[in-house]
Amino acid sequence: MNQSFYGLLLLIFLVAPPVAHFMESHMVIHMHMQMPMLVIAGMLMARFFQKRFPTFFEKWNSNGIPGILLFVIIVVYWMLPRTMDEALTTNSVEVFKFISLPFLAGVSLRDSWKKLSSLGKNIIIIGFTVLFIGLGWLYIWSPVQLCNNYLIIEQVTLGWGFLLTAIGMIVYLGYNFFIDPSAYE
Amino acid sequence: MIKNRHNKIAVFIVLFFGLGLFFIGTDGFSAFTAEKARVNKLLNDKPKFPEVTLEDSTGRKYSISEFEDKYVFITFLYTSCTTVCPELEYNMKQVYDKVPSKYIGEDIVFLSISFDPERDDPATLNKYKDFFKSDGETWRMARINDKAELKSLLDSFGVIVIPDEYGNFAHNSAFYLVDKKGSLANVMDYKEIDEAAKTVVNILENGSEE
Repeated sequence: MNQSFYGLLLLIFLVAPPVAHFMESHMVIHMHMQMPMLVIAGMLMARFFQKRFPTFFEKWNSNGIPGILLFVIIVVYWMLPRTMDEALTTNSVEVFKFISLPFLAGVSLRDSWKKLSSLGKNIIIIGFTVLFIGLGWLYIWSPVQLCNNYLIIEQVTLGWGFLLTAIGMIVYLGYNFFIDPSAYE
Repeated sequence: MIKNRHNKIAVFIVLFFGLGLFFIGTDGFSAFTAEKARVNKLLNDKPKFPEVTLEDSTGRKYSISEFEDKYVFITFLYTSCTTVCPELEYNMKQVYDKVPSKYIGEDIVFLSISFDPERDDPATLNKYKDFFKSDGETWRMARINDKAELKSLLDSFGVIVIPDEYGNFAHNSAFYLVDKKGSLANVMDYKEIDEAAKTVVNILENGSEE
């Protein structure tokens, strides 16, 4: 049993209709649990693809930039209010979610992250922190209902989820900046 | 060097893919929320008002053909609503007041449709209409009793109604204008009263939007 197998199991679990239905019934679980878990499933399965097609990744993603770009594009796409709505109402969009988040975002994140310089990593984390603060602000203080399939209160909950995640990333960045791990060895 | 070239090509492919994805996903960068996409699609499709039986505040029953050769200005509501609906109806009243009286009843009829037929019987609607000084004739309030008919109307006009746990409904709101032949002609922002009134008067004067 290797991690790719567990990744596949996780994906199957997430796709199973009762599980998918439950997770999508709350906006904040939909975006902050289901979607990240799909990415994690992809990251676990990435081992399989890396072993199977080592030259492909080495050739096309040697510095990690194409891969991380693909990750960012897919993840930002799923943060549009509209795509969340359409995943609920349009089957093809739902299928695309279950394919794109693990296989495009998850696999490429795993393959790219180690290849990035620490500057590149920091840019990505800072970028997402700023984006999450922006989205949190949008979802909490937006005067209009952004998603047709969720109540306003769900939208506000999601906004706080974004802000808390952003705070978590700020703490991580601060920790990285101020603490030198070698001093504790 | 060769590796670098491959990376560059890959970056271009990824960016191109991303651009395509966002372009398709937002209908050419025009609709970032499903509500905007819904309105854009309605304006394109101009769906017909389906054959449904309306029952108004006086208990009369009729279909949309009752308003043949008239424009119909429509909102969707339920009377137990304490949030958006009173605002929606109050704004509708202001549009009603802004339309020159020579058109009212002759070329245009106002119609508020309830999607909560169980609670909104003719008596309830009759009481509710008085809050907004609707005359029940040129501005009518009606319910659709048949569940399947109601659903067909809500679906074709893209009205999404979600019941919440307190007996209320969350729903999207807009002003709808149906033309003389019973097809949807326009969907307007219910918060822009002046703009909606202007659009309606323009259509009444010229027989079209241009």
